[in-house]
Amino acid sequence: MKFLVAAMEFRLALARPRLLALNVMVPVVLVLAISLGGAPVFHAAAVYTVLFTLFGTFGSSIPLVRDAEAGLFGRIIRAGVPRSHFLIERAAGGSAIDALQLLPALTIATLGSISLNEWIRAVLVLWSSIWIANLLGNLVAAVARSLAETALFSAVAALLLLHFSGVFRTPLPQSSWAVVEALSPFQALHETLFAVLMGTSTELPLGLVLWVLVLPVVTVLLARPITRSLRATRDG
Amino acid sequence: MDSGSISLIEVCGLHYRYASGSPVLIDINLEVSAGEIVALLGPNGAGKSTLLRLLLNELTPESGTILGPLLSMKSERVLMGYAGEESAHFNSLTGIQNAHFFARAAGVEKDEVSEMVSGLMNLVGLSDEADKVVSSYSFGAKRKLLLLEALVHQPKLLLLDEPTVGLDPTSRDALAHILSKCRQEGSAIVMASHDLNFLEQLADRILVIDKGRVVSSGSQAELLSSLGTATRFQVSVDAAAIELPEYFGDNVELVDDSGPLVFETTRGQAALPDIWAALISARVKILGVEVREPGLAELFRRVTGQELPE
Repeated sequence: MKFLVAAMEFRLALARPRLLALNVMVPVVLVLAISLGGAPVFHAAAVYTVLFTLFGTFGSSIPLVRDAEAGLFGRIIRAGVPRSHFLIERAAGGSAIDALQLLPALTIATLGSISLNEWIRAVLVLWSSIWIANLLGNLVAAVARSLAETALFSAVAALLLLHFSGVFRTPLPQSSWAVVEALSPFQALHETLFAVLMGTSTELPLGLVLWVLVLPVVTVLLARPITRSLRATRDG
Repeated sequence: MDSGSISLIEVCGLHYRYASGSPVLIDINLEVSAGEIVALLGPNGAGKSTLLRLLLNELTPESGTILGPLLSMKSERVLMGYAGEESAHFNSLTGIQNAHFFARAAGVEKDEVSEMVSGLMNLVGLSDEADKVVSSYSFGAKRKLLLLEALVHQPKLLLLDEPTVGLDPTSRDALAHILSKCRQEGSAIVMASHDLNFLEQLADRILVIDKGRVVSSGSQAELLSSLGTATRFQVSVDAAAIELPEYFGDNVELVDDSGPLVFETTRGQAALPDIWAALISARVKILGVEVREPGLAELFRRVTGQELPE
């Protein structure tokens, strides 16, 4: 294992300081506005969850389709990088970079209401959720045929999963929705942020662990059709 | 082809069509051996690039097979190299960072990569730009980097699609030198190009492809001998009230008068004054003359009935 693609993700991030600064500053500005604006905790947690999730999904899918359209994706695979390595390493590198870029925003969002242990736990949940969002970005990119479609599908996929994760609803503990929420990928991030803002604690939901482990396996199994589809993006 | 050389890849009865339309390649047969340069020559849309992508296993043929020892060889390094039309790179990284990435991806070990990349950077004339970001590169520099990335892992089979596009004469000569060296070291090269001088300089064997079919193939000597040694002149004339003479000089034959007049002679350009005089004396108004010496360009015209694209 050479981790060429993951290393390249870091090199690319460092080579574009303006984009790096924007990726840090934009979430900080949005989080500051909500944090200082006195939004109710439930709404604030929902907005942060949406922001962080879309950051991961869009940040993964759009550059992938852009590179596929330019022919770079095809060149990398042709050069000898195994398809599944490419997709997994890219998501791993991308999620680590995204998590680092979102760290200041997360710190501001949770300032004053959290112990170090809880903050570390929140960081790990954030990172895991962005890992899922990045892997989802790969899948979305595979079905899109243009950058516009990519943006649309990324938003739809992320918002639907956020809805299933219970981000936009009042929790209904006794209903069948509770099972769906528990198995959905972004409930953990929402619950964690909500608990942190409330000054309480929460258990690690099953959904997060499930998606963190299963989605990479699905990606590896689907690597060939994903790759074929991304190549077709260039061929039109 | 040297009968003692090792066949790397064999294409038999290959047919390919796009999902939507008419056939792109029809009954292609091709054998490529180690230490051989095979050129694909044909008009735009003939199917040359598609054939290269089939050899890369990026497309699935409708029927036919692509077999050969190359496909079952085990190696730490990727056995094929490809430089196509797209020259997409990591534009925010330097040329050397890009080259290192592609070399490592193709299996070049970490301790070898710097030496191999810098050696090729010198050969293709990119040393001065190695540490500049690719977004600042000219089109030609990007093409050089693309070729370098295809060559750096010393592939057994190198597939090149229009390799001289964007290259200045010095870089073109450097590329010819590099490809000759690859051939000496036992690599096989299949390239599609419209650069006839480049093909004449390098190709051991040429396949002329037109409308998806191989219409002519062989060594340069074989193909050119099929043309004979005759020089052709194409004379454009004012078609109004034309009455052609019978005789245009010794060993000069009028082979086509359906459009521009086409004369064939074994006397070379020495026959031109006789043709000229015969036409003037017949009061034919001459609009232009084109000399066609036997060569790949003429072969291409005769086999495909088309002019080569510029």
